[in-house]
Amino acid sequence: MQRRKFLSLGALAAAAAFVPASLSAEDYRKTKPDAWKAHTVEDAITKLYGTSVSIEKGVKLTTPDVAANGGAIPVDIKSDIDAKSVAVFQDVNPESAVAVFTVLEGGIIDYSIKMKMKKSGTITIIVEGKDGKLYSAKKTLDVALGGCEG
Amino acid sequence: MKIKARIKGDIISVKAMAKHEMMTYDVAEKKTGDRNNANYITHISATVNGKTVFEMSTSQFLSKNPIFKFKFKGAAAGEKLIITWVDLKGNTKTSKSKIK
Repeated sequence: MQRRKFLSLGALAAAAAFVPASLSAEDYRKTKPDAWKAHTVEDAITKLYGTSVSIEKGVKLTTPDVAANGGAIPVDIKSDIDAKSVAVFQDVNPESAVAVFTVLEGGIIDYSIKMKMKKSGTITIIVEGKDGKLYSAKKTLDVALGGCEG
Repeated sequence: MKIKARIKGDIISVKAMAKHEMMTYDVAEKKTGDRNNANYITHISATVNGKTVFEMSTSQFLSKNPIFKFKFKGAAAGEKLIITWVDLKGNTKTSKSKIK
């Protein structure tokens, strides 16, 4: 019994040692639940970052000008800004927020995702700099076939 | 989940595809008559040696079977990259891949 107790203590200690690593990450759905329910881009940005004022530079957003399939629009995001997080929004789906990336130590802002858009609209990228400012990029694109109807 | 992780210099490029329906509230309502049947990936994270290297909180507007790519520094060839996703209903899936 003694040995078993000792082993379980060891397992607990090992679990505790892993906690700091996972704390550096943040699940924005849990910490900012309201941002995911916002219906406009501005509202979503405000709920996520407290302000929607952003500087439109330093962020490179690449998408096709015309998306043939609204169900899977490739979106590439690049930036050299020393950032804490990167968020993706659009203005045509029922809710605005699409994804929020946490920029971790060793992380490079060079992401690609595929997203859905109901119809033609604008994609907005917000990069939250470590200096506390928000940087943004926008792109308006045509969607030939809406992608929210499955 | 399909994962490809390649190292070039000191930068590791990862391309991954999660197999998931990514059903939005609107589609759930249309197909099943109940918005609460919606289910989509809400959180994706990647670790190497217990250290988180990538993290994304997601909504229902990622594509079906979403593909995502990211890059990071601080790992070596041969180390294992572990990617985990969690969906709205609480299902999780973890896959591993060696960095080549």
